[in-house]
Amino acid sequence: MAQEYLLLDILLWFSIYLIVALSLNVEYGYAGIPNFGRALAVLVGAFAVGGVVNRILISLLGIEGGIIEASGSLKSVLNPAIAQNPLLGLGILLLCLGVAALLGAVTGALFILPSAKLRHDYLAITLLAISEVMFLVANYNTSLIGGYYGVSVPDVLAFVPGERRFLSFTLLGLVLALVVFLLVERLLTSPYGRLLKAMRENEDVVRAFGRDILVLRIKTVAIGSAIAALAGAFYSLYSVNVIASTFFRVDWTFFPFLMLLLGGMGNNRGVALGVLSFVVVKVLLTVYKYEIKAVLHLPFEATWLEYMLFGVLMLLILYYKPDGLLRERPLTLTPPVRSALEQRGKEGET
Amino acid sequence: MSVLEGALIYSNLLVLLAIGLTITYITTGVPNFAQGSMAVVGAYVSLSLLVFFNMHPYYSLPVSFLLGGALGVGIYALVLRPMIRREAMVVTLMIATLAVDLILLGILGAYSDALSQLTRRGTKKFIFTPLDFKLAGTDAILLVSSGVILVTLLSLFLLLYKTRFGIALRASMENPALAEIMGVNVEHTRLFSWFLSGSLAAVAGSLLPFRQEIVPATGAIIIVSIFAASIVGGLGSIYGALVGGFFIGMSESLITFYLSKQLGAGVLLYSKVVSLLLLIAALILSPRGIAGLRIWRHNRWRRSTSS
Repeated sequence: MAQEYLLLDILLWFSIYLIVALSLNVEYGYAGIPNFGRALAVLVGAFAVGGVVNRILISLLGIEGGIIEASGSLKSVLNPAIAQNPLLGLGILLLCLGVAALLGAVTGALFILPSAKLRHDYLAITLLAISEVMFLVANYNTSLIGGYYGVSVPDVLAFVPGERRFLSFTLLGLVLALVVFLLVERLLTSPYGRLLKAMRENEDVVRAFGRDILVLRIKTVAIGSAIAALAGAFYSLYSVNVIASTFFRVDWTFFPFLMLLLGGMGNNRGVALGVLSFVVVKVLLTVYKYEIKAVLHLPFEATWLEYMLFGVLMLLILYYKPDGLLRERPLTLTPPVRSALEQRGKEGET
Repeated sequence: MSVLEGALIYSNLLVLLAIGLTITYITTGVPNFAQGSMAVVGAYVSLSLLVFFNMHPYYSLPVSFLLGGALGVGIYALVLRPMIRREAMVVTLMIATLAVDLILLGILGAYSDALSQLTRRGTKKFIFTPLDFKLAGTDAILLVSSGVILVTLLSLFLLLYKTRFGIALRASMENPALAEIMGVNVEHTRLFSWFLSGSLAAVAGSLLPFRQEIVPATGAIIIVSIFAASIVGGLGSIYGALVGGFFIGMSESLITFYLSKQLGAGVLLYSKVVSLLLLIAALILSPRGIAGLRIWRHNRWRRSTSS
């Protein structure tokens, strides 16, 4: 039972973090936009569930009271209803994901606007600053999504018997991650994906070909943030509550960067491998944290050790293996392009 | 402590942090995301000296200065320099400073846990305000922090404009390649800038507990104000950092205070929103900041700019 639980925990976190890491791969791996504010989009996804969908349902059902108490009543009304009618649960699930993606895209487009024209260092600083401040606001203002108290969220899988709940959510997460994976893979092998790589390598060339870097950056961060918001929404539905303080920079910006760089940016399979390796270590560290603390006689929480370890791991990757476990593959050329290039090569020889 | 005095103290500390951030940005080309945590290290150095040796935080400033400087040099020499030698992208170096920030957070958190177990205090927060005393009719912290600023600026001025090393330093800030051709050791100026950045951050951190509660994660909160101050001033100018630090420090404290009188005390939580809005306004109106000078521009390290 314990091992089964461990496996499910790894797979669940794999699916959540895969979605976030893929969103970062679109933005940073392909387009070269250093989004140091990734956590914001994930928080927006959670806000879509706890702050928007909850409010819609509360007003539809005519529940009175502040957002924290009303969400509690909403849960106690809806969970039995979902248990009777699975379609209601699935409907709420789809609504949450839809609102999250939409809200994520809008926030993403807005939050890159001030720095969209600027160089990478300014971009990174601004995105980090906006994300940090929004985190503080969401955490301290308890009228948005309950702040550090949190709000409850209806269990969209209330119709599944309790002992199967974890398994069902894990499967749901894996399906969602697979859909995102295929979508991102499709998106990035399109001309748009090649344009992003071109922008990463040399912005002036892209500009010379008549593309607007500003528009391209806004679009890319909107897409990336929409994807990351899905992860935030799914995580909130799984944990049946939204607590703003869980959307800390370390967990949702730094760790995704670590997974991306570990796996190999610009390569979705590499990213998946990076996420899996990271999640295995992370889940094992979390599950055995009391044992670790006892065995090593640590006079402090094992979380701090985890931070030091992952920080050092990041530095080692950056220094020794900047390409990650799987390198980015060269562009696959379509036959006409390949023959045109070969033709050119022959002409060059003669 | 009156609101204006509080704002002045905060601005003084922000200036120290912004000067440190700016000077390493000028010499190394990387914004240091660990600057906030470097300050918190200074705060814990003072706390430890207070707990173990009963040393007043004002007397522990020299120790903070030296240890902070050593930390800055360590970060540069052990983390950044090897990557610069491999011609790493600037973004890679930024991620490296994020990693350093996380390592520092881990160390600070662990140390804070251990310290509170050792001293059997339940809480992990700490503040120095009760230790402060009156001096010439005002809180000593106002005079001390202003004194530190004055000494820092005066020594920086003398160093940069009156010594040979200072001339070499300014030359290698403006054009490292040319300075190197002229026989300036650019490596020395980088090491010096990281020493100074670390030491100023640690001194600011030692004084910060006189104004606000410190926890290991305080760095993540103050980094927003530090970046805002540096960017409003113009990331590439020490003079800009001075102006930006005062501008952000004063606005953050005074605007929030004014709004809280109008709208109630709940607004006080939003002081960082003020910094953020000013940062965004600066980016839109004048991305080069108040100083308006962009010293150089590059996206990739070249062999010629590193030794």
